[in-house]
Amino acid sequence: MKGAFRLHSDRWAGRVARISLLAAANLLFASACHSHEIAFPDRMDFVPPAAGTYKLERIMAAPRGKVLDIDGKERKFVSYTTRKVTLLSFIYTHCADAKGCPLAYAAFRSVKKSIENVPGMQEKVRFVSLSFDPQNDTPDVMRTYGGDDARSLQGLRWHFLTTRSNKELIPLLDGLGQDVSVAVIRPEGQRVPMLSHMLKVFLIDTHGEVREIYTSSFLLPNVLINDIKTLLMEKTVLVQ
Amino acid sequence: MTPAQVRCEGRSIYSSRRPSLRSRALSATSIIALAFLGAVLIGVMRPARADETCNSPYLSNLIKGQEDFVYVWTLGVKGLGDGSDKLVTVDVNPASKHYGKVIAILSVGGRGEAHHMGLTDDRRFLWAGSLDNNNIFVFDIQSNPARPKLIKTISNISSQAGYVGPHTFYALPGRMLIGALSNSKDHGGVTGMALYNNKGDYVQKYDMPTANGGDGYGYDIGINPAKNALLTSSFTGWNNYMMDLGKLVKDPEAMKHFGNTMVMWNLKSMKPEKVFSVPGAPLEIRWSLKEGDDWAITATALTSKLWLVKKDAKGEWQAKDVATIGDPAKIPLPVDISIAADGKALWVNTFMDGMTHYFDLTNPETPKETYATHTGSQVNMVSQSWDGKRVYITSSLLGNWDKKGADDQQFLKLFSWDGKELKEQWAIDFYKEKLGRAHHMKFGAKTLQTAYNPDTASASTKLAANR
Repeated sequence: MKGAFRLHSDRWAGRVARISLLAAANLLFASACHSHEIAFPDRMDFVPPAAGTYKLERIMAAPRGKVLDIDGKERKFVSYTTRKVTLLSFIYTHCADAKGCPLAYAAFRSVKKSIENVPGMQEKVRFVSLSFDPQNDTPDVMRTYGGDDARSLQGLRWHFLTTRSNKELIPLLDGLGQDVSVAVIRPEGQRVPMLSHMLKVFLIDTHGEVREIYTSSFLLPNVLINDIKTLLMEKTVLVQ
Repeated sequence: MTPAQVRCEGRSIYSSRRPSLRSRALSATSIIALAFLGAVLIGVMRPARADETCNSPYLSNLIKGQEDFVYVWTLGVKGLGDGSDKLVTVDVNPASKHYGKVIAILSVGGRGEAHHMGLTDDRRFLWAGSLDNNNIFVFDIQSNPARPKLIKTISNISSQAGYVGPHTFYALPGRMLIGALSNSKDHGGVTGMALYNNKGDYVQKYDMPTANGGDGYGYDIGINPAKNALLTSSFTGWNNYMMDLGKLVKDPEAMKHFGNTMVMWNLKSMKPEKVFSVPGAPLEIRWSLKEGDDWAITATALTSKLWLVKKDAKGEWQAKDVATIGDPAKIPLPVDISIAADGKALWVNTFMDGMTHYFDLTNPETPKETYATHTGSQVNMVSQSWDGKRVYITSSLLGNWDKKGADDQQFLKLFSWDGKELKEQWAIDFYKEKLGRAHHMKFGAKTLQTAYNPDTASASTKLAANR
């Protein structure tokens, strides 16, 4: 994720820099919470192969574990990774990097719109946004973050999930190979979480197998749609 | 898909037996979790450290500045030190008291023809290959970048894919694509690419094309995601690369078995789309990193040419030779190349004459050599910092191809580059240090460190207090 910062235990860093950081982070947080409306750039300089003309390899099995939905109910993670084609992204609601979580959100919205225009497709696909900041991203926060997308029972279902604790989050991170480096300052009365992570979006088939992983280099809506269609076609089309 | 044959071992002379990858991953993640639970900012936020220019475009945290470490994958030499292949860590930060010194040595046990390495997309792990025994070693370089740990050995590329000589380790999201050099049937040059997930599980194989002009040979991998383009090159098989070079060049039949092609693949479908005739063993591939550029460059070892792969006016990929390196009649043997971050310059090492060449790529259609200097008796790998001001060079090509006698110098050297001249800053004699033959390099950087040493209890307490 471009622009991710690494934090260091350098005692010579300087208080001025720290204060500046906190101020900047507060501004970012204030602006980032509801910054869903990011224009998605058209960076595709090629024609992707048609859906069904290629094979997506079985990269690994999605992990098992427990998550919380926006109502705070505990669910099995497997219920969100099987029976439908799933597009999953780890996020945290304070992410302000335009090429991080907001980029994933923009891609998801673009793909959602396209899928909902294809008859019969939306029932076979789900989106999952899973927070890797359970301390801050409670079910209520995820409900707010997800807005209408989270509450709507119509159209393509988009689930905004979190976990009860890091203990339940870690197996999911580990299982999907999502790295998270965390450096969070929590001065009294302030809330400035800064997480460093590599943006990854996972495409999971109906059997819970990860079939594609996207980073910001390749998170293109047209490619995502073709890949989703390719998985949905797997039972009906023989790929040569 | 059959389970991967993996084993976790602790061959490091500095470490005891390692637990399984699963527990290592959990342990590593537990460290992250502790930091997470602790939720403490350390010091000030600063951009992290530097990187060199020749990595997969999927690598995260490609950032500028001063690198902290150089990891050197080193071939063991019988009778020298422990005789084992090893990962050598060198401190290269001028601000460090250990600047220019070896600070860690991680022997993997045995000699398997250590050759090249590659970082995973998240830069947490470094995969390193052996061309003779086909072992692939996975090092954890995140837990303590100054002291990498061997956490896994993968030894199934031959049994799973039928390939020999894992050469190029190229990061894809969550995966590692490995370009091989040979095959287990006849140890010739027909080979392919093997795909693993980042956990070390085998996923799939992709044979190099032998139709439509393809010779089936492989070597390097270069991806341009914006073009959905995967480009491969071609070298030679085990029969040749494990043969003594002096004997090889006198064997006309053996000399016929070198690669003469590059292949453009559709990255999404992993199908070859076009085979280019590129005579003389095209080796390292470098796409220009400048946004919007649509070309890649390579050097041919046996014909001493720079070749450009670029779209023509009709939008078709084409390959053509665009420059000569040294005097081809003398077979200087161009080997490694390093492209500048802005795509405007290229370093090229020629092994036989020990020269390092600088080409101006302002117009990649007409590269111009503007500088060359002698940097060692034999030179192979070249890595530059992102800002181009530091150039690292190592010596070894292959155990049986390196020179003999006094010319067989083995080293890591750092040069400064001011745009006009390379100036040697320091050199580490890998023979004097009893290390072995210095080969591939990857940069390392210091990472997140907590301001205190968290234990679970205190971290949880702090978390609870902060809620």
